[in-house]
Amino acid sequence: MPPESTPPATFRIGKARTRFFGLTLDETIKAFFGGNALMAVVVLALITFFLFREGFDFFTQNQHSIRVYREAGLEFVDYIRQQEQDHTALTRYLSDVRLRTLQHFTGHEGLTLAEANSRLEGFDAFAGRYGEAVDPLRGLVSELTEVATEIKTKYQIIEDMKEKRRQLLAEGKTAEADAVIVARVDFKTELGPLIATLPAYKETSDQFATTLRETLALAPALPTPELQKRMERFRELNSDYLVGFPVVLRQLEEWDYTKPVPAWHAFTGFIFGRQWLTASFWQDWYGVVPLFVGSLMVSAIALMLAVPLGVGAAIYISQIASAREQRLVKPAIEFISAIPSVVLGFFGIAVLGQILRTLSQFDSLRWVPGFPFAERLNALTAGCLLALIAVPTIFTLAEDAINNVPRSFLEASLALGASRLQTILRIIIPASLSGIVSAVLLGLGRVIGETMVVLLCAGNRIEIPDFTQGLVAVVQPVHTMTGIIAQEMGEVVRGSIHYRALFMVGILLFLIALLLNFLAQKIVRKYRISIG
Amino acid sequence: MSATAHPFATRSARGRQLERMTFTVFRVATYFVLLCGLLVFGDIFVKGAHTVFQSEFPYVNVPFLTEAPESLYVFEHNGKKMELGDRAFRAFQSSEAARARAENRPVPRFKAESYVYSAGGIWPCIVGTVLLVVGSMTIALTLGVSSAIYLNEYAKDGPGVRFIRLAVLNLAGVPSIVFGLFGFGLFVIFLDWNVSLLAGWFTLAFMVLPVIITASEEALKAVPKGFREGSLALGATKWQTIRTNVLPYALPGVLTSSILGIARVAGETAPIMFTAAYVVRDKLPWEVDRLGDFFFQGVMALPYHIYVVSSKIPQNEYTARVQYGTAFVFLFIVALIALASIVFRNRMRRIYKW
Repeated sequence: MPPESTPPATFRIGKARTRFFGLTLDETIKAFFGGNALMAVVVLALITFFLFREGFDFFTQNQHSIRVYREAGLEFVDYIRQQEQDHTALTRYLSDVRLRTLQHFTGHEGLTLAEANSRLEGFDAFAGRYGEAVDPLRGLVSELTEVATEIKTKYQIIEDMKEKRRQLLAEGKTAEADAVIVARVDFKTELGPLIATLPAYKETSDQFATTLRETLALAPALPTPELQKRMERFRELNSDYLVGFPVVLRQLEEWDYTKPVPAWHAFTGFIFGRQWLTASFWQDWYGVVPLFVGSLMVSAIALMLAVPLGVGAAIYISQIASAREQRLVKPAIEFISAIPSVVLGFFGIAVLGQILRTLSQFDSLRWVPGFPFAERLNALTAGCLLALIAVPTIFTLAEDAINNVPRSFLEASLALGASRLQTILRIIIPASLSGIVSAVLLGLGRVIGETMVVLLCAGNRIEIPDFTQGLVAVVQPVHTMTGIIAQEMGEVVRGSIHYRALFMVGILLFLIALLLNFLAQKIVRKYRISIG
Repeated sequence: MSATAHPFATRSARGRQLERMTFTVFRVATYFVLLCGLLVFGDIFVKGAHTVFQSEFPYVNVPFLTEAPESLYVFEHNGKKMELGDRAFRAFQSSEAARARAENRPVPRFKAESYVYSAGGIWPCIVGTVLLVVGSMTIALTLGVSSAIYLNEYAKDGPGVRFIRLAVLNLAGVPSIVFGLFGFGLFVIFLDWNVSLLAGWFTLAFMVLPVIITASEEALKAVPKGFREGSLALGATKWQTIRTNVLPYALPGVLTSSILGIARVAGETAPIMFTAAYVVRDKLPWEVDRLGDFFFQGVMALPYHIYVVSSKIPQNEYTARVQYGTAFVFLFIVALIALASIVFRNRMRRIYKW
C-alpha cells in the first residue's frame, strides 16, 4: 500500500496486533492463565468423577454378593451360627468369672494355685457341662456349613463359566463360546437338604435349651457377694439368651431364598455394616463401621491432645511471649509440620510404642484407663503421633485467628482495668473463637486423612473397639479408613468387589474432608467479628 | 508488697498468682510441643548418624548413599559372627567352597539368617525421590503460578472466581490417600500409564497445587499497586506490566513459599504408593532402552522405602541400621528444604518492604 493513500485521520501507534484464534496477544495470555486457574476446579471434578467411576459399581456387586449369600443358603446357616456364637460369648463371660474367683482365692485368701484350683473343681465341672451343651448344635452348624459352601462353590463355577463365555464372545470366538456349557443352579433342589434339617434343628435346639436350664440350676455358689453378683448377671444373660431361641426358629421357618435383596441393602450394608471381612471362605462383608470408628477414635485421641497444646501455644505465642521468643518459637513449631508422616510412623514403631508400653506398666500409673497394656501398636500410639501432626496446623491457624482480633479490643479491655488474663479469657478468646473452632476442624481434617502414621502404628486390627469397659478401648489396636486403602489396594484384583469397596472408602473420606472444610469455612464466615 | 499498700492495686495477689500460673501452663504447653518435636528429630538424628557417618575417613558412609539395597546375611563362621550383603555373601560362599575343594574338605554350608533390604544403600531411593520432586514441582509451579496470576491480576471478583477459590480451598483439604486413589484411577488405569514417574508427577503436582496457588497469590499481593499503575500509565499492556513490573518482584516470594510445597511433595508416601513407587527395582531410572520409557517407569522412593523397611521386616539390631539410616537421610533432606524456606521467608520479609 503506498504511504500517501493512508488517511491522516487514522493515526496509529505500533503495529497491527497479532491474533490467535481471533484473540489478541493479551487476550490469549489472559485465556492461558484463566485456563490454568480452572485447573483446580477441573482436578476437583476429576477426583470426584474417577472415584465414582471406579467405586460406584460396588453397590451392584455388593447387592449381587448378598443375593448369592441368601440364595446359596449361607444366610440360613448364619442364623444358627449366631446362636452358637452367642453361647461362646457367654462361655467367655464364665471363664472371666473363673479368673476373678481364682484371683480372689490366691490374692485375698492366700491359697496356693493348686489349692485354689481344687476349690474351683465344682465350678469347673459346671463350666465344662455348660460348654459341652452346645456341641450337638455346633455339629449341626458345621454340617450345614459344608452343604451351603458346596452350593456356593457350584454357583461360582457357573459364574466363572459365564465370564469365560462372555470373554470368548467379546473376542468373536462364537463357536468356542457355544462350547462352554453354562449350567444353572437350581437353588430349590440344592437347598432342599438344608431346609430339611429344620426338624433336626428344632430337636437339637430344644435339647440344648433343656440342658442349659438344667446346668444353670446347678450353678455353684461363689465366695464373695461381688462374684455372686456376676453369677447372677450370668444367669440373667442366659435367660435372655434362651428367650431368643424361638425367635431364631421363627427366622429359620420364615426364611425364603427367593426373597429379593433390595438395592438399598447394598448401601446400608456398606455404611452400617459392622464387619469388614475379606478373602474369607464363607462370605465377604464390606462394612465400613469398624474402620470409621477406628479413624474417629484415633482422631479423637489426637485432638484431645492437640487442641489444648495447639491453642495454648497459640495464645502463649501471640499474647504472652516476648517478641524474641515469638521469633524463635513460631518457626520451630511450624518446622514440626515438615516432619514427614512416614518418619513419624517409623518413630512410633521403633520408639514411642515401646515407651508408652513401658510407661503403662509403672504401678504409679495404674489409674490411667487401659493401663497396663500389652499391644505396642494401638490407637493411643497412633493418636499421640497424630497429635504432633495436628498441633502445627491448629497452632498456625489459631494464632492467625487470634492476631486478627482488632487491637482496639485488647486496648479497650486493658483500659477498663482488666488484667491480662481476664483480657485473654474474656475478650481475645471469645473474639477469635470462630477462627479457633475452624482451626480445630481443619486439624481434624488433617488427622482423619492421615495415612502413614495410622497404617504403621494403629495396630491394624479390623474390629470395632470394645467400649463396654469404658476408656480401655483407647489402647486397643484399630484399623482406619485411610490405613485399609493403603494396605489392601496393592493386593486386590482390579474390578473386583473388594477393589470397588476400597474406592467407596475413598469416596467416604473425600466427602468427610469436603464436609469438614465446608463447616470450617462456614463457621469463620458466619461468626466473624466485624471491625465496626 | 502487701495487697493493701497501693490505692490503685485492684488486682488481688491471688488474681496475680492465678494469672502467673495460667501463663505458665500456656508456656509449658508450648515448650512441650517443641520438646516432642525435638525428641523425634533427636532420636532419628542420633541413631541414624551411626549409619550415615563413620569415625574414619571419609567420615560419611559412602556405600550407604551410593549403593542399591541388598539382603543382609548374618551367620557364624569359625566362631565369628559375620554380616555380609547379598553379593559379598555369594562371593564368600564360592570362595570358601573353592578353598574347601582345594583342601579336599567337604564344602561348608552356611546357615545364614537373611534380612531383606538391610545391607547395601539407598541410592535408587534418593534418585527416585529427586526425580519425583523435580518433575512434580515443575508441573505444579507452572499450573500454580499461572492460576495465581490469573486470580490476582486478571480476574474480577465474581461468582466464577469465587468458585475457583472455593475449589482451591477444598482441594487443600483432600486427604493424600484420596489423591493416591484418584491418580491410580485416572493415570494408572484409565490413561494406562501403569505405575510410572509420569503418573506420580501428576498426582503429586495436583496435591500441592493449592499450596502453590495460595503461596503465589500472597507473593503477588505483596507487590504494591503503584508498580502496576505506573507501568500501565506509561502505556504498557497488561502482560507487559505483569512481565516487567510484577513478576520480578513477586518471584522470590513465589519460589520461597514453594519450597514448602517441595517438602510436602518429598514427604508424602500415600499418593505415590499406587502410582509411582516400587518396593524394589534393580535398574536406575536412566538405564532405559528408549527415552520414552523414562517417563513410564516406576521408581523407588525414600518415603516408600521407609514404609517398607519399617513395616515389612522385623525390628532388630541388624535391620535398625538401615531403618534409622534411611529415616535420617530422608528427614535431613526434608528438614533442610523446610529450614531453607523458613529462613528465606523471614529474610524476604525484611528485604521486600514497600
